[in-house]
Amino acid sequence: MKQAKKSEHESQQLPDKKSSTPGQGKTPKLKKGPSLIDLLVPYKKWIYILIFLSFVSNGLNLILPKLVANSIDNYQAGTFVLNTVILEFSAAAICVFAFAVLQSIVQNYTAEVVAKNLRQELAAKISRQSTEYIQQITPGRLLTNLTSDIDSIKQFVSLAVVSIVSSVVLIVGSSIMLLLIEWKLAIVVLTVIPIIGITFFVVLKKVRAFFGESRLVIDWLNKVINESILGAALIRVLNSQNKEHKKFLDANTKAKDIGLSILKLFAGLIPLITFVAGMANIAILLLGGYFVINNEMTLGGLAAFNSYLLIFIFPILILGFMSNIIAHASASYARVGEMISAEEKKDTGTITKKLHGDIDIKNITVNYGEKPVLKNVTLSIKSGKKTAIIGPTAAGKTQLLYLLVGLFNPNSGTIEYDGKNLNEYVKSSLHNQIGFVFQDSIIFNMSLRENIAFSDTVTDKDLKKAIDTAELQDFINALPDKLNTIVSERGTSLSGGQKQRIMLARALALNPKILLLDDFTARVDRQTEQKILNNIHKNYPDITLISVTQKISSVEHYDQIILLMEGEVLAAGKHQELLKTSPEYVQIHNSQQSTNHYELRS
Amino acid sequence: MNYALNTTTSRKTDGTGLMSAIKAFLPLLKDEKMKMVIAFIAILINSSMNLLAPVAVGYAIDTFIQSHDYDGVIKFSGLLFIMYAVSLVASYIQTKTMGGVGQRTLFNLRNAVFNKLQDLPVSFFNQNKAGDLISRINNDTDKLNQFFSHALLQFVNNAFMILGAGIFILYLNIRLGGATLLPAEALLVFTVAISGYVKRKNALSLESTGSMSSEIQESLNNFKVIVAFNRRDYFRKKFNEVNEKNYKASMQAGIVNTVFLLPLYGLISASAQLIVLALGIYLISIGQFSVGLLITFLTFVSRFYDPLRQIASLWAQFQVAVAAWDRITDILSMKTDLVVLPESKIVKHQPQGKLPNSILEFQNVHFGYTEGQEILHNVSLNLQYGKTYALVGPTGGGKTTTASLMARLYDPVEGTIFFNGKDIRSYKPAERTQKIGFILQEPFLFTGTVKDNILYGNEEYQNHTSEQLYEVLKKEQLEDLIVRFEKGLDTEVSGSGETISLGQKQLIAFIRAVLRKPELLILDEATANIDTVTEQLLEGILQKLPKTTTRVIIAHRLNTIENANEIFFVNSGQITRAGSFKHAVEMLMHGKRDS
Repeated sequence: MKQAKKSEHESQQLPDKKSSTPGQGKTPKLKKGPSLIDLLVPYKKWIYILIFLSFVSNGLNLILPKLVANSIDNYQAGTFVLNTVILEFSAAAICVFAFAVLQSIVQNYTAEVVAKNLRQELAAKISRQSTEYIQQITPGRLLTNLTSDIDSIKQFVSLAVVSIVSSVVLIVGSSIMLLLIEWKLAIVVLTVIPIIGITFFVVLKKVRAFFGESRLVIDWLNKVINESILGAALIRVLNSQNKEHKKFLDANTKAKDIGLSILKLFAGLIPLITFVAGMANIAILLLGGYFVINNEMTLGGLAAFNSYLLIFIFPILILGFMSNIIAHASASYARVGEMISAEEKKDTGTITKKLHGDIDIKNITVNYGEKPVLKNVTLSIKSGKKTAIIGPTAAGKTQLLYLLVGLFNPNSGTIEYDGKNLNEYVKSSLHNQIGFVFQDSIIFNMSLRENIAFSDTVTDKDLKKAIDTAELQDFINALPDKLNTIVSERGTSLSGGQKQRIMLARALALNPKILLLDDFTARVDRQTEQKILNNIHKNYPDITLISVTQKISSVEHYDQIILLMEGEVLAAGKHQELLKTSPEYVQIHNSQQSTNHYELRS
Repeated sequence: MNYALNTTTSRKTDGTGLMSAIKAFLPLLKDEKMKMVIAFIAILINSSMNLLAPVAVGYAIDTFIQSHDYDGVIKFSGLLFIMYAVSLVASYIQTKTMGGVGQRTLFNLRNAVFNKLQDLPVSFFNQNKAGDLISRINNDTDKLNQFFSHALLQFVNNAFMILGAGIFILYLNIRLGGATLLPAEALLVFTVAISGYVKRKNALSLESTGSMSSEIQESLNNFKVIVAFNRRDYFRKKFNEVNEKNYKASMQAGIVNTVFLLPLYGLISASAQLIVLALGIYLISIGQFSVGLLITFLTFVSRFYDPLRQIASLWAQFQVAVAAWDRITDILSMKTDLVVLPESKIVKHQPQGKLPNSILEFQNVHFGYTEGQEILHNVSLNLQYGKTYALVGPTGGGKTTTASLMARLYDPVEGTIFFNGKDIRSYKPAERTQKIGFILQEPFLFTGTVKDNILYGNEEYQNHTSEQLYEVLKKEQLEDLIVRFEKGLDTEVSGSGETISLGQKQLIAFIRAVLRKPELLILDEATANIDTVTEQLLEGILQKLPKTTTRVIIAHRLNTIENANEIFFVNSGQITRAGSFKHAVEMLMHGKRDS
């Protein structure tokens, strides 16, 4: 985990470093992923149809100049019949059209289906991963995988497959035609293929390096944009728009510079190729002219030569550009494939029985970077009892709760529920019995009902009880659409306290055996807090409660208070005991003492 | 003010939108006139060479080959070589110049969008989903990028080719030429007719990409909830829904982009060839045309219809670009309503009551985020220099809203807020934000170090090294807070990571705000997740701020607010002054409430 973090930082800094060698950031550790061809295997039926269609439509396309040439020759020979020509030509043209239409439909369909299924597969894979993994890979990277990476694969399927087939058909076909008309001239003309091919190869090799770099710059650009959107309020409070703009300008300038470097390479490419094609034209004129003058070739043949040359240069260009799309797509598919084939932690648990509620934390150690977050923590929590965890900022309180639901795994030590290791339980069964109220407010962009009855096991009765316990009934009643009101993504239409109460109701709606509160009281006013805690006591009498908190007064009567500092359990016991035994506890207590007489009254 | 982007999308998607899109686009090109002229000259030369070359070939066939004059053929080949060489140089210049124009325009466009984003008020970000905004800026500008870096050049180039070839065809033989161009005209009519439809389909496809990206963003950022509540299927289900939608929209767009065009253009091109062939042979038979000319003409038909076919494939890209451009102009056309008011428009301060040296005053302020839903009703309050005020009250009562109005994140719907006796709307943002510090309820960190985040937006210490900054912090007695970070000021943090706790984020926000030495410091539950011992430390720091500094504190913990000089009770849009701390507690504990 530490390693991954590190390399992530390195890659984040890459754009700043002048000496960045693109593409090297992550690729070395890349497992040899499946190739793009493997991706297409399940769709081979469609690919064959596609190849067939483009084969036919392009093959027919090749006949058209021949028909024209024949008519000219026929006319000169005096055997020209207009109706036959019109009939033949129209039939060919209409066939080309029909096949081309079919081809574009199949082409689009195949590409979109491949993209859709790949997205679905990747999303399903992601959905089975651990939170730790998502954090480590970063949501941003997964977003890129699901959107732009799959888009470039889609582009490959929709453009490259057909283009490659039709280009090859056109090149081979027109070469054969050229050879049939006059093989000596054809051989001269065909020498342009290796010349153009080599030019492309050299230029694209250089360009690809820039493409890698440009991807990194785009990532950088996106990061600046994302942070400027997510931190919009802060930026406005500090009036730091200029600073954001400067950051953006740096990234944007770099993007422009790379764009211009790519351009510099490309600018020469097409003119050069057109020039080579021009040379072929001159060769046709010189040699072809010579042949016609010497009656070794017909005038119609010369006209056809010119037409076929045009048909034949263009696909070479296309092939060149496709090699680029293929390169892009393979890189993207390698990234996507890496995610899809990533190891997923199998849920090896077998126990699904109802929890009694005893929790044993044994010798837990968690390292985060170089610093241990939790050091050899051992705790025992009895069913139905109330436990508070207090301690300074960054003491490891939240991490401890995360461990309890298996969001993260400890470096060493075990967690046991009712004497059985956490890993022996089927995770979903465990999660259905543990309600977790997170510290940060997380509200999904859907109705309040769906937000609260977030788990699919919630019954209407449980929902009602949860809402009442969280003191949300009045708030909901005041809303125009009641429970069906859609709340917004970042929950900006709700106050901090409302969000937190919704989070509580969400946890309680599970009708949990164990309730984990992470600093729940921080954003809820005193009166509401009291009511809610009383409600919990009344409505969920047997619940095992673990509450991370800063306020001693709310937990004085708890069965156990644990003082956590810098990842270590400094003291554990009842309030009165701790007051006698732990100087640190006394210090915290004193820091809250002055107003306690007010709080105690309630 | 309505800043919601997606409600405005059912707009000008007809063909006429194109012209206005181009018009809106022109200012971005204003510094490129010189380059454009050079590029156009190069294009002109290149296209004429491209057009003349087949004429020369046709002429050579007619005059030299048919008359068996091989010397003439060789001479003509020399001429052709020169033409191709000129064209080589011209097309290099053209590609490079136009490409440069494209890259710089994209650069300007991105800057324009980003600047606009920075101009817009917080409301804009509240009303739009982050994922959708990100998709607009990343994905949609990229669509424009693709158009600029590849398509635009070919577009211009092909347009010239078509124009030149068209003129030439007509010049060679007006009757045959006219007949040749007929299918193209029919095609033009058809293309214009379906333009609006195609653009609409592309707009829908981009929109679905935007909502897919919002969905992914939301689910992945909140993944721990999805796991802890056993709703991995929720992510899958929601994703599959948007994926299916995206698939449909994207397929429809793809089909209209390609099916209508490429095959159709092939057919049209073929019929043009047939017309030339039939009519040409007829003209030859009545002695008005030559075989050499017919061969040239046929080449020109390809010269006319091939670029047309290319334009057809670019046209799809162009429609995508126009749809993307529309989505970007949605943002660019947004106007902030939080402008600095000129002297003439500001409300003159008329002191109410007997408090002369007030730093901040609300006079009959009404406010609501959306029309018709008022959050604050007729609020008046007065804050004095050097005092500490606390805002208390039940959740959802309007505390954060009040604080946001104090910092002018929003303007009141009615009534006026005075800062130092002047309408708060008359202050330039730089001055206002320097004087008013606001620690937000949800702390946000930029990717970087703790130091970067502390100095974020701080001009004074911007260039300090870690050591120098540490000295400054020591002087301000803030150094104890830095100890809580693994590597002190150089600890790496990121916006979304779990490596740093909420309390630590709040510490950074606190240090950042205090270092700016504001006249008015607003703390919106700024220490809610910080332990009480550390909080006492913060309390001490707040006490030591200059005598004239006014503090506004929103908190639920009573000891956080017990030192306040005055307490305001905020509930259901009303702000009541509490007579004493005890009175405030009384109201808080037992007061009437509805939230």
